[in-house]
Amino acid sequence: MLPKLDPLLHSELRLAIMSLLAGVDEADFTYLKEQTGATSGNLSVQIDKLAEAGYITVEKGFKGKMPRTACRITTEGTEAFRAYVKALKKYIAVGK
Amino acid sequence: MEQNKEMTAEESLSLITETLNSSRKEITRRSGKYYILWGTLLTLFSLIIYLLWKLTDQAAWNNLWFGMPIIGFLLARLMSRKDTEPHVQNDVSRITQGIWSAFGIFACTVAVFTIAYSYVSDGALDLGRTIRVMVSVASLTAEIVLLFGLAESICGVALKNWAMKIAGFVTGIGGLAIYYITGAAEEQLFIFTFAGLVLVATGLVIKYQYK
Repeated sequence: MLPKLDPLLHSELRLAIMSLLAGVDEADFTYLKEQTGATSGNLSVQIDKLAEAGYITVEKGFKGKMPRTACRITTEGTEAFRAYVKALKKYIAVGK
Repeated sequence: MEQNKEMTAEESLSLITETLNSSRKEITRRSGKYYILWGTLLTLFSLIIYLLWKLTDQAAWNNLWFGMPIIGFLLARLMSRKDTEPHVQNDVSRITQGIWSAFGIFACTVAVFTIAYSYVSDGALDLGRTIRVMVSVASLTAEIVLLFGLAESICGVALKNWAMKIAGFVTGIGGLAIYYITGAAEEQLFIFTFAGLVLVATGLVIKYQYK
């Protein structure tokens, strides 16, 4: 039986955010916006959902005088991301 | 990018791969400006010092090298502050930064150490002798122990382990100290005895840390 895909990760924007954060130590909100091409509002909503699930942490601070929002993937998020990729591979293997 | 778009497994996997690759490329692109900064400084300093040395016949102009890391560090800080690009850091950028920092610390310490050694052994600062001592560092043993120490420090950077970073530094600079004291005599083999002991001690510390 095929494993269920995590609905929180099975969304284009949230998956892109998680993929970006999985490959870095931390990233600014503006970096995520630049890389995903999403609008600030949409990105903010999706980041909140991932943070509520405990997949990422969001830290607000300053870089010089400019406000800065730093996002990091958590251990729980990394595990969920790995499990999601593993499940995807199974789906692809079955489809072949 | 939409949050509700239905994706197939292939599309999801392709999105993950593309996102990771594009992020890696972006981080690599950003490191370019620091290579340009340090490359420019190195070229300018070497040419200026060469000309001053050549024109005045004074090796003391080599002291200007100490200005390079100071200017470079200040400019790098300024560039980082004025940077309008959003912040992002991954393992590769962290390790690259650590490798160059380790190199900078090694290079500056070797220079300071050599001048200090020259001063202590002569009781006065004889820059001509200092340059000769620096040239004598081009001994195979001294070069190997410095590279050994640098490699160990870099491993510490990659593994985020302070014991390894410090042990590498102690091995490189300590080995050089032994070389200065023993010269080219057979006692210089103690450099490797020392390096071996530090390596064993590092292994023990790491074992204790991750018990």
